[in-house]
Amino acid sequence: MVGLFASLKWRLVTSRLRATKGANRAWTVVGMVVAVALLLFAAFGMAMLRQAPDAAPLVVTGVYVVQLLGWALMPLVAFGIDETVDPQRFALLPLSTRTLQRGMLVTSLVGYLPVANVIVMVGAVIGVSIPWWTLPIALAAAALQLLTCVVLSRALSTAMSSLMSSRRGRDLGVLVGFGLIVVYMGLSSVLNNNAGIAEGAGTVARILAWTPPGALATLPHRVATEQYGTAAAGLLIAVVFFLLVWWWWGQSLHRRLTSITSATSSSSPASASGLTSGVSATSVAATAQLVGRRDLLLSWRDPMRRLPWLIVALFGVGWPFLVFREQIGDIPTSYAVVLAAALAGAQGANCYGVEGSGLWLHVVAYGDRVRARGEVLGHAMAALVPGAAIVAVSLVVVTAIRGGWEALPAAAGMCLAALGGSCALAAYTSARIPYAMPQSRTSMFASSVPGQKGRTAIATLSVLVGGIVAAVPAGVCAVLAITADPVWGWVALLVGVLTGAGLLVGLTRSAGRHYLEHSPEILAVVSAGDRA
Amino acid sequence: MTDGATAPISLPAFTETGAHSAELKGQALALRGLTKAFDGRTVVDHVTLDVPAGSFFGLVGPNGAGKTTTLSMVTGLLRPDSGRVFVAGVDVWADPATAKARMGVLPDGLRLFERLSGSELLNYLGRLRGLPSEVVAQRAEELLGVLDLSDAGTKLVADYSTGMRKKVTLAAALLHTPPVLLLDEPLEAVDPVSARVIRTVLTRYTSGGGTVIFSSHVMALVEELCSHVAVMAAGRIVASGDTASVRGDARSLDDAFIHLVGASDAGSGGLEWLGSSQV
Repeated sequence: MVGLFASLKWRLVTSRLRATKGANRAWTVVGMVVAVALLLFAAFGMAMLRQAPDAAPLVVTGVYVVQLLGWALMPLVAFGIDETVDPQRFALLPLSTRTLQRGMLVTSLVGYLPVANVIVMVGAVIGVSIPWWTLPIALAAAALQLLTCVVLSRALSTAMSSLMSSRRGRDLGVLVGFGLIVVYMGLSSVLNNNAGIAEGAGTVARILAWTPPGALATLPHRVATEQYGTAAAGLLIAVVFFLLVWWWWGQSLHRRLTSITSATSSSSPASASGLTSGVSATSVAATAQLVGRRDLLLSWRDPMRRLPWLIVALFGVGWPFLVFREQIGDIPTSYAVVLAAALAGAQGANCYGVEGSGLWLHVVAYGDRVRARGEVLGHAMAALVPGAAIVAVSLVVVTAIRGGWEALPAAAGMCLAALGGSCALAAYTSARIPYAMPQSRTSMFASSVPGQKGRTAIATLSVLVGGIVAAVPAGVCAVLAITADPVWGWVALLVGVLTGAGLLVGLTRSAGRHYLEHSPEILAVVSAGDRA
Repeated sequence: MTDGATAPISLPAFTETGAHSAELKGQALALRGLTKAFDGRTVVDHVTLDVPAGSFFGLVGPNGAGKTTTLSMVTGLLRPDSGRVFVAGVDVWADPATAKARMGVLPDGLRLFERLSGSELLNYLGRLRGLPSEVVAQRAEELLGVLDLSDAGTKLVADYSTGMRKKVTLAAALLHTPPVLLLDEPLEAVDPVSARVIRTVLTRYTSGGGTVIFSSHVMALVEELCSHVAVMAAGRIVASGDTASVRGDARSLDDAFIHLVGASDAGSGGLEWLGSSQV
């Protein structure tokens, strides 16, 4: 039975490669070779830790802890990437929980991710086996570490699978993902600011050495230095932890296979919105207002749309302080807000792809140029209005903290050009290079579907690069405001407004025309997101 | 619910439209040589079909016959390789703006705006079609009531069951009182109560002068509801006309269908082991 599970997983792992043909297959193979090379490089780096015997256990402790956390969080942010994760798929087969648990453990060990882990861990094992006779101990500890990772990941995903099958549960996953980003930004800021980073990290690693992964990482070192009592205590912690997680997984699996969940259990009335009354789509402006208000409502209600806005807001205020840790020459800190402005405008990207196959509702509703243009403008407005608010607040906050009010017009000019430019390009590429976005929301990081990665990359890059290029004329004026005369700051503001508005008017008009003429083809492309 | 189904509702007053030619006069839908191929495989093969105005028309065929592809080309969601489509006398691909105003659409398997409530969805779509806000609000409320969705009107579409989704999509298709309704598998995977509600509303719509064209592979349903029927197999129309003439001498439409698509032998032969209690 275990062999059957392993072969099932092997087929799942290799089926995507078998399904690709010609150049795509060649590129996939090249990508895998590059990935293996990078992993070998990482493993080599870990093995080189032998050169620093004092640091080796500390570093490997950190690596093992991060590895365990990564495996634990994976099901929350990427539930569904592995078809064998969901125990419900096996519910109707005549299998005992014990057989299923063993089988699923084996399937978890077959795949790209476990292989990548093994490659790096081999390096880590070599790194901590000082002297060489501790190698078998390090190997056994690494094996237990990998098993702990896999079992913890499985236990969590099983316990959460009923939650993740519902809309609310997936929404929660997105929020946790955002929390992680915030924590990461905060941590990197704190660590970078700390002059004694090595000392701090050392203290943290010594504490972590008493956690299950830390105990396994330091086991060879403790044995080699004859700290047998500590080593035994550490090993006990690791083994007991593994057994507890294994037992928890078995219990969750049993519960999951003998109870059913309701997909609509989380339904509740939607909060009141202004969408039940207002203008009708009888002109470009009215259509834009109608579509824009709907988009804003959806951005508020849908965590997948709301999350990018939270990140933009975080970038608007946080990024300038991260880049301009100290004043760089005469460049005002507020100039760094331009990145948030470009990112905010880019939120209008792939406005048809966001709808998935739901786009049909728009396609059948009208077939005239006025409303097609109004729809494009409406989507753009839904990015511009919150974008402009975030940029304004960021500029004021950054300037209030760092000073440089005289630089505000130039900074605002660049920001408006970047916001308008990237938003205009977002509208244009939405119609010209639409791409499907996964609609089932099984992963917060999935932004494209198989077979459309190239389109996705081209569209995303052109929007971001375009936004920055649009800010160049205003940027030149902003530089002149510092080097020549402050009056250039006001010129930058004017140039920024004109560039942004000009690009918006021109490109949304073109996008509307293209959308109207090619809506069936756009629908065909973006509908692929339903199946992803 | 029964009370709701008999409540007054402003179902469409069928507006006579100027036909492009005498040939299209009196036709709610006319297909002329409609063709579509995917990767060199012809899925819809020179389909020519007339659907009389005011009829309840069933498009039947086995899975993969090309029903959904045909309806997608009729509704403007899929571009045909060749051929023409006239809805209420208007060429769909030459004058999409006018044609789209004259049809209501219920496709199969496509998503809705999941994070809007049923009421918000209807109000939004009605106003997107250019209807005044008060008219949309009044019609949406009536449609939700008749379709037994009043209580669910404030819930997000994401939390709707299949039957509720079909009903709210039908409501969206009826909002602008189109003369022609195009429905792809409207009763597929729908519970009996919702199915009854949908059938009642559709019957009332045709009795008000509207034309319903729907695809299905449930023969009993088609035989019960439809005044006219077309049988599709392998991308072609193999029979069409009023239901009685398509059924001909066969005992039921089901038998006639099996005969027309040539599938009478399927399901027999082999399986001698089946039914044995021995493992």
